[in-house]
Amino acid sequence: MITIISDDSKNNFMDTIKESIKKTTKKIVVFKANDLNVEPCLACASCGGKTYGRCILEDDMQKILPQIVRSEKMILVSPIVYGGVSFHIKKIMDRISSVGDPRYYMKNGELVKKMRIPDLKYYMVGIKENLTFEEELLFIKLHEENINIMSVDGKAFIVEKKLDNSIIEEILKEIIYD
Amino acid sequence: MTNENILLVCVSPRRKGTSAMLLERIKNFIGGEIVFLNQKGSFEELIKKMQMAKIIVISGPTYINSYPARLFEFLEKEVPNHKFSNQKLYGIINGGMPYVHTHEHGLFYLKLFAKENSFSWMGGFVLGGGAILDGQPLEKHLNHRKVVPLFDQFISCIGKGVFAPKELYEKAEVAIPKCITYVLSKALTSKVVKNLKKYDHNPSDLIYYLKELDSKN
Repeated sequence: MITIISDDSKNNFMDTIKESIKKTTKKIVVFKANDLNVEPCLACASCGGKTYGRCILEDDMQKILPQIVRSEKMILVSPIVYGGVSFHIKKIMDRISSVGDPRYYMKNGELVKKMRIPDLKYYMVGIKENLTFEEELLFIKLHEENINIMSVDGKAFIVEKKLDNSIIEEILKEIIYD
Repeated sequence: MTNENILLVCVSPRRKGTSAMLLERIKNFIGGEIVFLNQKGSFEELIKKMQMAKIIVISGPTYINSYPARLFEFLEKEVPNHKFSNQKLYGIINGGMPYVHTHEHGLFYLKLFAKENSFSWMGGFVLGGGAILDGQPLEKHLNHRKVVPLFDQFISCIGKGVFAPKELYEKAEVAIPKCITYVLSKALTSKVVKNLKKYDHNPSDLIYYLKELDSKN
């Protein structure tokens, strides 16, 4: 199963992929981040203690998390803002830590964390026209730090043109059709 | 100490954590007013205070390798609708991992924000190993001998209104030998596991969200 979460407030990613994703038999669950009600993480630490693995904020994240924990691939699609993801996507990213493994591990001589979802692959698609090189590097760096600290595999894709089917096909070919 | 020109903005949802402690330290040295980014409601009051200030310092924790989402919301959705007059902007980001690279995205993010929104980016400070402090004074930091004087140099940059070079926080990072890292991972894990046991949980319990959907089906 594959979960796609897209902030479509500045693009129309979800509409553009509609036809393309029919080509696969895999189960694909999609969420439009900009239509959801997701509160910011309050750092209450309940998910790492009293309510282990469960976020106590009762909002749309309670619909997303059960899908993510069943997925082998998670794809976040975001407009690139100041070299990072949009706030709609960042709210979801911050809250995904509630299904993270609270223990510490060592990788390449450094401390890292893991996700509790086995073999999760984590992809990010960043979209912005007329992107500067600095901003592109920063977005990719954020993704590299993310996959390092979560000990998962993945890749970041950059779309710096207007979204069209050929660009979508290229990305989906790599993530979904394999 | 009061200094009407300096606004110290804490963007952590925790009001007594390390992000706030670092701002208290700045306030004690050079003055300024500490305000908190609210987690709900309007940003109006904070916008007004930022417009009045000459120097703004944003201090927050690292969530998934950058600042918390609520700051992203404020800087993406609200600030671009208002006028600013090249206020000097400094950033502080702190997190549990004792490495600069884990947290540094936050500062680059603020730098690009400043460029697009009529603020003058003046540099920042990355504090690794910050979460373990849990709001205790900086003198309790594991690497306090290096961190304290370097952070205080950063404060004096703010006081003078000059650019804070990244060398300050880069020098504050300690190289931790592999064997110590290993011991650290075991010690931190045992603390986490102990806390879970307190609530009758085990790290390897079935993921809550796997249970829930199955019982509904």
